[in-house]
Amino acid sequence: MQKPMRMEDLKGWEPAFWLAWKKYRLAYAFVLPALIAIGLVILYPLFSVVVTSFERYHLLEILTKGPTYIGFANYVEILKDPEFWYSLGITMYFTAACVILTILAGLAVALLLNLEFPGHKVLSVAILIPWVMPRVASSILWKWIYDDQFGILNYLLTLLGFKGMASYAWLAHTSSALWAVIIVVVWQSFPFIAVSLLAALQSIPAELYEAAMIDGASPWQRLRFITLPLLRNLLGVLTVISTIWDFKAFDQMWVLTEGGPAGGTMILGIHTWMNAFAYLRMGRASALAVIMLLLVTAITLFYLKIFNREEE
Amino acid sequence: MGRIRFRKRNIPALFFIYLAAFIVFFVSVFPFCWMLSTSFKRPEDTFTSVPKLIPPQFTLENYRRAFQDTLLGRYFVNSIYVASIVTLTGIVLSTLAAYGFSRFRFPGRKACLLFILCIQMLPSVVIIIPLFIVMRNLNALNNHWSLLVSYPTFTLPLSVWMLKGFFDEIPREMEEVAQIDGCSVPAAFFRVILPLTLPGITASGIYAFIGAWNEFLFAMTFLNSHELYTMPVGLNAFFGQFTVEWNQLMAASVFFTIPSLIFFMLVRKYLARGMAGGALKG
Repeated sequence: MQKPMRMEDLKGWEPAFWLAWKKYRLAYAFVLPALIAIGLVILYPLFSVVVTSFERYHLLEILTKGPTYIGFANYVEILKDPEFWYSLGITMYFTAACVILTILAGLAVALLLNLEFPGHKVLSVAILIPWVMPRVASSILWKWIYDDQFGILNYLLTLLGFKGMASYAWLAHTSSALWAVIIVVVWQSFPFIAVSLLAALQSIPAELYEAAMIDGASPWQRLRFITLPLLRNLLGVLTVISTIWDFKAFDQMWVLTEGGPAGGTMILGIHTWMNAFAYLRMGRASALAVIMLLLVTAITLFYLKIFNREEE
Repeated sequence: MGRIRFRKRNIPALFFIYLAAFIVFFVSVFPFCWMLSTSFKRPEDTFTSVPKLIPPQFTLENYRRAFQDTLLGRYFVNSIYVASIVTLTGIVLSTLAAYGFSRFRFPGRKACLLFILCIQMLPSVVIIIPLFIVMRNLNALNNHWSLLVSYPTFTLPLSVWMLKGFFDEIPREMEEVAQIDGCSVPAAFFRVILPLTLPGITASGIYAFIGAWNEFLFAMTFLNSHELYTMPVGLNAFFGQFTVEWNQLMAASVFFTIPSLIFFMLVRKYLARGMAGGALKG
């Protein structure tokens, strides 16, 4: 039998809660629709992927017997799987190469655009093109550029004297396929870095450079002791953002190689997707997704640390 | 302030600057030009031992065939449909939320903002598995609903942060004056603040549109009949055919790129502000 509820029972919490709601009602009315939408399409899936990662959930078996709880078995299997470790290694290699090259290229282009030479305006619009093209469109375009027989890249390389490259199949060898995708990713992401850095460069007072020049500082010293220290925070943030973007890159790799040849460019994103939608092992794929999530969280925590430092 | 001048007579420096500028220009623009060039070439001029940038015989045949022989027109309509609905619903939700976050202080505000910022770090692969299971249970697979529901996962967070930046720039006195004149808070929002931030709202809407326009992973996973494909999935499906018709594929890619290009140029001056939120690039 349930005891009838009395008003006194509610005294402890209800008024405080209700008062808060009344006080901030208007604020919540503005914010809640979006928060509910985000909760439904992000929080719930996140919760559910963790649950599924502890289950045996095979898409074909699910029709007959439903998921069964199997504890950490999916994780144990993954950690014993050499394919996973290979994929993790490739992912780290791919991400690191993309980030380092993107930041260096972005910084170089930003420094170039910061010089006042006739034509810098044209150039600053031109560099936006790689960024504007849809990821899938530019991946398809680069696949055509990399074409072994009629691709323009091999033609240009033979013109430059690399006769051996005349019909080299870039996407058919593991190491060159990985680098081919790295180049596409860097090509697409350097404009963002360059534009961000250029904005920061232009806010550095010219007097700093003039003073340094009077003191006889060489261009290299001006870069090393004035520009880079002033850009340090932004460079840090951009590095972390790039790391996260390149870690989750999927489209370019999928269009260019589909993880091939023979699984040679199977980065974690594609490895997870294949487990879920090619082998239909949803439980195992969910565990992989959770592992990816933990890796991204580690990077994000680092990002938040920088973000909070800048807020203060 | 800012830009670095150098002496005009410094010829070696000028030479290296132009060399570097040429390389950057070539790398950025050439692939795009190559795509245009291939799309206007006849196949017999494409597969030659000495490729030419300017088509020897200019033709629109590739575009015509891309539309007639494939479902390109269909993909285009699907993409426009999905991206427009995602953009419109996104604008409503994110404008309200951004205003709330910008103007009110309430318990949980900072936590929610940080959470929304963190969502942008989520790889789509992580949430695509549970979303797939949900869509399957709701019978929404192979249906545009699955995309309309899942695209806000990446459009909303960006829009909220971007718009919050725009609202933060408008002085609070604007509403206070309106409220003194007898407007309620919602009326002040709709009559005074909204018109002022319209450019910002448009810009964030366009970003959402470009994001949805470009999205590949969800569409590839959730859709499997060609009639429902969006542009990216449809174009990638060209590779499934026995031989790749590069000319047609490049024509289709040009067609896929143009809307993105136009929209992007429209919001170019808002670039820097969008970045403050910490995540563009779809």
